[in-house]
Amino acid sequence: MLVEADQLTKRYGPFTALEGCSLAVRQGEVFGLLGPNGAGKTTLLRLLLGFIHPTSGTARVAGHDCALDSLAVRAATTYLPGEARLFRRMSGHAVLDFFSGLRRECRRDEATRIAQRLDLDCSRQVARMSTGMRQKLALAVVLATEASLVILDEPTANLDPTARAVVLDLVREAQAAGRTVMFSSHVLSEVEATCDRVVILRAGRVVHEQSVAQLRRHHRITARLEGAMGEVPAELREHVTVTRDRDGRVVLETADSLRPLLGWLSTLPLGEIRVDPVGLDAVYDRFHRHG
Amino acid sequence: MTVFIAMGDQVWNTAIWHKTWGDQRGLVLAFAALWGVFPWLFLWLSAQIPMPAFQDVLLQAIPKDWQRLSGVPFSDVATHAGRVALAFVDPVVVLAATVWGITRGSDAVSGQLERGTMEMLLAQPVRRLALWVTQALATTAAAACLCGVLALSVSAAVAYGPWAGKVEPDRFLLPVANVFGLMVCLAGISACVSAADSYRWRTIGAMSGFYVFSLLAKLVGRMSGAFGWVGYLSFLNAYEPQRLVGDAAVSWTNLLVYDGILLGVGCVAYVIGGVVFCRRDLPAPL
Repeated sequence: MLVEADQLTKRYGPFTALEGCSLAVRQGEVFGLLGPNGAGKTTLLRLLLGFIHPTSGTARVAGHDCALDSLAVRAATTYLPGEARLFRRMSGHAVLDFFSGLRRECRRDEATRIAQRLDLDCSRQVARMSTGMRQKLALAVVLATEASLVILDEPTANLDPTARAVVLDLVREAQAAGRTVMFSSHVLSEVEATCDRVVILRAGRVVHEQSVAQLRRHHRITARLEGAMGEVPAELREHVTVTRDRDGRVVLETADSLRPLLGWLSTLPLGEIRVDPVGLDAVYDRFHRHG
Repeated sequence: MTVFIAMGDQVWNTAIWHKTWGDQRGLVLAFAALWGVFPWLFLWLSAQIPMPAFQDVLLQAIPKDWQRLSGVPFSDVATHAGRVALAFVDPVVVLAATVWGITRGSDAVSGQLERGTMEMLLAQPVRRLALWVTQALATTAAAACLCGVLALSVSAAVAYGPWAGKVEPDRFLLPVANVFGLMVCLAGISACVSAADSYRWRTIGAMSGFYVFSLLAKLVGRMSGAFGWVGYLSFLNAYEPQRLVGDAAVSWTNLLVYDGILLGVGCVAYVIGGVVFCRRDLPAPL
């Protein structure tokens, strides 16, 4: 495991920002963090980087304790803050030069290449850049390193759709190069398209962990019942849950392949059948809108 | 050798050194220009009042009690050296040294937290101690450069200005050293407050309050016999450049005491601030 957190807790007086957070991120994985504002995502990332000290619990990155050996952790990590702010008086080129000087493994030419892919004019002074341009510059700084762990806190916020697509491509390229990515975002479609696994946080706690590959096998069948439905066959009971929606329509959800259900479904008196994949938004809603 | 290199990595970062110089470049150039010109202007204006007239006013018109404020007898002030030394208690020098110390010191942590730039900086493999020490050294080195400009300018103005030949130019190196002590002291205390704070405006406010308190404490200590002890609460009691232009032996002893206090307080403040900064939780950008 590249990242391990064990019962990580952070309290500020009576306020608990993170409570008993345990998770593990495998080498080469793209790992998503989901949750509304204040759920504890950024607190978790800042604990991993040693910016703040845990009230209790431990975290390790690449075998280094995040609280006791944060320098080694930061040497193995590259981090894009949620709201990346850079030195306003410097030009884009000067910012890239400065950060290249801070990290031996930071590749200045790669930073320029990423900036070009993001269509960023680095000759402009940071103070004269738009929020999106600054975000692109910060991304060029962060993604030009060869650190084994890439932490991106809402990397596509403030970006136009074209730049978003480039960022997601860069994340996939980082993964293809064997690097691990921790990715926090509010855009569920991006997380679903990019991540291998996600955790959902709520009020400082990890409330759900979800494999995206497994999620892609989830389906929801919604239909109008035109007669008596009868019992679910015994051999399918483990694979399907049956509920009713507000309009009285029957809703069947399966976490596995649809194939075993198809024979049984064909015998049911169903009309207006709709089969949808269960996306991350449905899982998220379960914890944050209906939870 | 390896041990020294390892220790150097702990407390030094070349990229931060260059960046800090870039940050303070504007202020350094502005103050260098000010201190380069000011001694010439000051001496030219002072020379407009002939020495006998100045002595008449100082020794006869001003109440004797006010002598306590000057820190030295009026008879010492009413000399060419004494009048040049007044330049070091002029607001142009004192305020510039104060503004320098508070501005640079307050930027160390709370300034960068307020601007949000600390986050990206400390996400790099840079020790907090290296960031702290490198910034402190850059600030101190720049203060030394500014004092060098002041020393050169005062010496040149004395040597070639309206009072050329009336006083030795090198007599004013000790007051300049006292100005350096004041700058380091204020930068150290400001950096210490900054290390524990998250808002630069609050750090500057706290330091301004502290400075005004010190100034008032010094005045009360000087003017009031019963409350003379209040003067000891002020670090400004160690800023007495006018006492450093008299007898050389006495002046050197005074300088060792004054700069010992100012540099000592500044260094202790830097050490305390460094410990605070290395241990504290860094808040998310504000």
